[in-house]
Amino acid sequence: MKYYKFGNKNGRYIGSNNKYDVYENTIASKIPENNAIIEKKPYEIYFNYGPSAGGLRESVNFSIVTPGETIRDITVNSHYKRRKIKIINDDINNALLKIERINGFHTASNTVCFLLAIEDALDIDNTGSNDKRIIEIELERIRSNIDVIKGLCESAGFSVPEKQLLYLREKITRIISDTFNHRYFFSANQINNVCGNFNKIRLNGIYDEFYEIYNSLLESKIFMDRIQENGIVNDINSSGPAARASGYKYDARIDSESLTYDNYNIYTMEEGDTFSRFMVRSNEVLASINIINKLLREIGNGKNNTEIKNNSGEGTARIESPQGDIFYYVNIEDNKIKDLSMVSPSYLNIELFKKAVKNNNILTDFFFVWESFGIWVSELEVDFI
Amino acid sequence: MILYYLPLILIFLAAIISYKFNKTGYILTAIASIIFSVFTFKIYDYITYFYLIAAIVWVITSLFSITYSKNYGKWLSPLFILTVAGMMLILYSANFLVFISGWEIMSIPAYLTVAINKKNDIEAYVFMFFSEISTVLIITAGVLSFYYTGTLNFVKINNDIVLLIFAIGAMSKMGLTPFMISEWLPIAHGSAPANSSAIFSATMTLMGVYGITKLALLSPESLYVGILFIVIGIISVLFGALYAYISENMKSLGGFSTIENNGTILSVTGLFVAVNNSILRTFILITIVIYAMAHSIAKTGLFITVGHTGSEYFSEVNNIKDNENSLGKFFILSSLSGLLPSLGGLATWMVIEAFFMTAFLHGPLGVTAIIAGSLIAMGEGFATAAMLKIFYFTNRGNKKHIKYESHIILLNGVILVLLFIISPLIIGRYYISGIPSVLIFNGFMIESKFSNADFGLISPVYIFILILIFTVIAYMIFRKPKIRVSERWNGGIENNEYYNSFVYSNNIRLILKKILRTKYENNELIQTVDLFWLVMIDLAGAYRKISKYIAYKFMNSSISMYLIYMIFAFVLIIIITSVVY
Amino acid sequence: MMWFFKGIKKRIKTENLNDKYKIEYPSALEGKSDYNCPTDAIEDQKWIKEKCIFCERCDLKPTHNQDLYNINRNIPAIFKKSFYLYPIDSGTCGACNTEFDTIFSPQYDTNRFKIFLSNTPRHADALVIMGVYTEGMEKIIENAYDAMPEPKLLIGLGACSISGGIIGKKIGKKFDIEILGCPPSPYTVINAILKARGDVK
Repeated sequence: MKYYKFGNKNGRYIGSNNKYDVYENTIASKIPENNAIIEKKPYEIYFNYGPSAGGLRESVNFSIVTPGETIRDITVNSHYKRRKIKIINDDINNALLKIERINGFHTASNTVCFLLAIEDALDIDNTGSNDKRIIEIELERIRSNIDVIKGLCESAGFSVPEKQLLYLREKITRIISDTFNHRYFFSANQINNVCGNFNKIRLNGIYDEFYEIYNSLLESKIFMDRIQENGIVNDINSSGPAARASGYKYDARIDSESLTYDNYNIYTMEEGDTFSRFMVRSNEVLASINIINKLLREIGNGKNNTEIKNNSGEGTARIESPQGDIFYYVNIEDNKIKDLSMVSPSYLNIELFKKAVKNNNILTDFFFVWESFGIWVSELEVDFI
Repeated sequence: MILYYLPLILIFLAAIISYKFNKTGYILTAIASIIFSVFTFKIYDYITYFYLIAAIVWVITSLFSITYSKNYGKWLSPLFILTVAGMMLILYSANFLVFISGWEIMSIPAYLTVAINKKNDIEAYVFMFFSEISTVLIITAGVLSFYYTGTLNFVKINNDIVLLIFAIGAMSKMGLTPFMISEWLPIAHGSAPANSSAIFSATMTLMGVYGITKLALLSPESLYVGILFIVIGIISVLFGALYAYISENMKSLGGFSTIENNGTILSVTGLFVAVNNSILRTFILITIVIYAMAHSIAKTGLFITVGHTGSEYFSEVNNIKDNENSLGKFFILSSLSGLLPSLGGLATWMVIEAFFMTAFLHGPLGVTAIIAGSLIAMGEGFATAAMLKIFYFTNRGNKKHIKYESHIILLNGVILVLLFIISPLIIGRYYISGIPSVLIFNGFMIESKFSNADFGLISPVYIFILILIFTVIAYMIFRKPKIRVSERWNGGIENNEYYNSFVYSNNIRLILKKILRTKYENNELIQTVDLFWLVMIDLAGAYRKISKYIAYKFMNSSISMYLIYMIFAFVLIIIITSVVY
Repeated sequence: MMWFFKGIKKRIKTENLNDKYKIEYPSALEGKSDYNCPTDAIEDQKWIKEKCIFCERCDLKPTHNQDLYNINRNIPAIFKKSFYLYPIDSGTCGACNTEFDTIFSPQYDTNRFKIFLSNTPRHADALVIMGVYTEGMEKIIENAYDAMPEPKLLIGLGACSISGGIIGKKIGKKFDIEILGCPPSPYTVINAILKARGDVK
């Protein structure tokens, strides 16, 4: 473990799983949460939404406590689609197939982070694939952020930009497919290697198209009215675009050494509302395109050294996924996974979402707030057995 | 002569009998009311329609009380009947003396009803406090009238100050702005049983309207008094309707709705006082009568509907759904919302018509009238929302209820529709016409006229027949609606939560945050109370201290003593008036 | 209104089904392999398409043929008029959800084939089940299927729901249409439905 040690709280909070509380530089044993049941007042009702309803992409249930119109409190029940993945004692290559399917939309972040942890554990020099991985993750970030902005347009019933963004998302997916042979980066990552034909990445058209949509959205008064000043949250325990939207300069691209970016400037907003998150994500799309374009000029297409020296060890990695910090801890024995634990960005985002949505919002604000965090339940509700 | 006083004698008899025999007392009251209503047609004048209005309300409430008052002890029925007797005396009155004694005989048993059933001290005192204010002001008006005319009889007065003082007195009893608390507090806090709430709300305030109308007829036209009435009326309409909409207590909803309706009546009365066109004046007078009729009868229906649920708050309602009840309720509530085909629809049409016709008079009155008309229309809109709340949230659950009470509710609803159909008979001949060329025969159409020119028109019979025909046609085509009950898709999980009345009206609480002063504190929604509450509660508190002092000094609080005092006073007044004439 | 014109100005072209864009994975595989498949998709050197998760590790070669589906039942002709789908997520990784979402993007514009999304199973013609079996969603899928009006179809989307894929158990239901792939590409989804309805011979 080069970057982490077991110990007490140190640095900013990354998130928790069912075993550990993870901080910037340390892994601490978990302090149990107290999930008090929200009592409703006699005049209030529980408004139920989900787990399976129109407008929800994944199975998740919300129980909103409301006296009518305003949201006083909310419970998010995400346990419905909890998956149990048998991964302990698998060999690394097999485990990789399963890691890819933790969150299909963010496979690149998950696999890269997992592989970085393994390379840390087995002490493999992975500087050769650093840039390729950055390109991969930034591509995924572009797609993910476009998807979140598309979700905001969808909530506003704003069909034209929604479809245009959907078009753009599919275009990027095709670029990914052409480059990595799979639309969702499945089977593209290996230990210290990224299989892909990087010559096929052309993003200048995407940059212009997205920039135009982004500017037009900023000009739309109706849309701005809908997303400004709703879902305000400002919490020191936050990560990803949500943290940067409320003024915290939290970014694993800067404060984690697992992947090395040079000269990345963090874009922040102060208000912490849905609009700020929209701004942060939009600007990160443009920034990511610039990062990729810069890196593409530098890399070659040669294969890296995949020779493995050790076959046991403990390793960690933390990188900036599109939604925030993602963290993997692995313990390898004889090339088999002995222990695996992961902290997904959705863990913190869901906590932030709960705080944001009950901050003086009405029921119609709900979708905007939910979509703006880009939460994926699939990466949250997963048990490794 | 004896026949003329028969209902009065019967009703006092009923009051005494009912102490031992509740049912007989109520039935006797109903009979007395029916006989009383006949006088409406004997002395033909618009003001005597108040007899008919009051009589219908008394009949309905007496019949309803037969089953309802079982749970309320032996004192309820004599006090109830005595209140009715007081009102009847007011309607009999030809001079201030009888009017005032009727006013007191009406108020004191009402106070006792509140006091016996009180849950807090404050309501009874609030009630008495405003009763006393009104009595004092009405006596002042009487004295002034005597000063100007030299007699206590109701005769023509050349000064509008009598009307103004009398009206403020009556308003404090009717619960109009800024005296709203006097109406809603005793009712809202459950200190009044539903049948008493009905007569408090429907007829006690009607007595105020009766008095004001009577004096307005005797007083000269006065633009300023008129506009003052209109303004007070409009404020009452808007606040009454708003508070009714956000009320969680069903009886208090009824109370606020009464304030709203009385506000409308007062502003129409203001119009009557201000306008000097004789055709318009007559039309406005008829409007007052029709509106008072619609309001009183429908309000009675509202309170018996609420009483029928057996609970105070929407959240406690546990009542099985029943067609008869729903149909009656539908007519009653559509009347209160100002919708056809019920008397309330006609009344609202006439009110708005009166205001918009007055706009043609130009000048300050014209401007006031057009604004007032629009605001009243807006108030009616809020009222519709409040009435829908009653309609939706008063039958859910599974408790069996008393069938007899459903009959009364239906009867009440049907009366409103019947009155709507026969309304051309009530309205003066000048405003009745027809257009034979399109098959609307003479006598079937009500026409609002202004300086001989036609304005708007409405034909109740035709409306009713058309609605009936379309209903029948729809029924013939589609037959009995096929109702298929299927489980809701609630995200795939079981649903145990139901939309409630608080949530229904919360939008207004949030939109009108500033006016209604809604806010969250420590996750707790602070409930809205009447704006005028805080000032008035202080006044009532002061009154309570004084009256406590007086009570300890001069009176002991035995109910029978009060009753003896009242009957004695009544006999005395009869003797005095007989001697005077 | 401004956006309306922006939309027109953009002229995003919907693609013709015949000149579909080519992808390698997932597409039908051919050839023989001795690879020890983690999902047992190779038996006696032969490919079993239902079990394949297209991990690109064996010696089978992709053919770019995206017609990866099974139709197990005659589909009533009534669905030719309009076809409402209700997606339900049993335990997906998110890829199937996104691909299903994508069929309504301007490139594919599935609405032109009279295929729509429904917001409740009460109005749906077909239930599209994605992901592996999970305890939490079992009852809900059952409820959704019961809530649907007749005639109704059950569509399995993705290897997870049909065979369990690599990470779990399959949904224990008999699907009328099975759409294969991990995740199935949008063209596979569209073609499967069109073929099942008889729009494409």
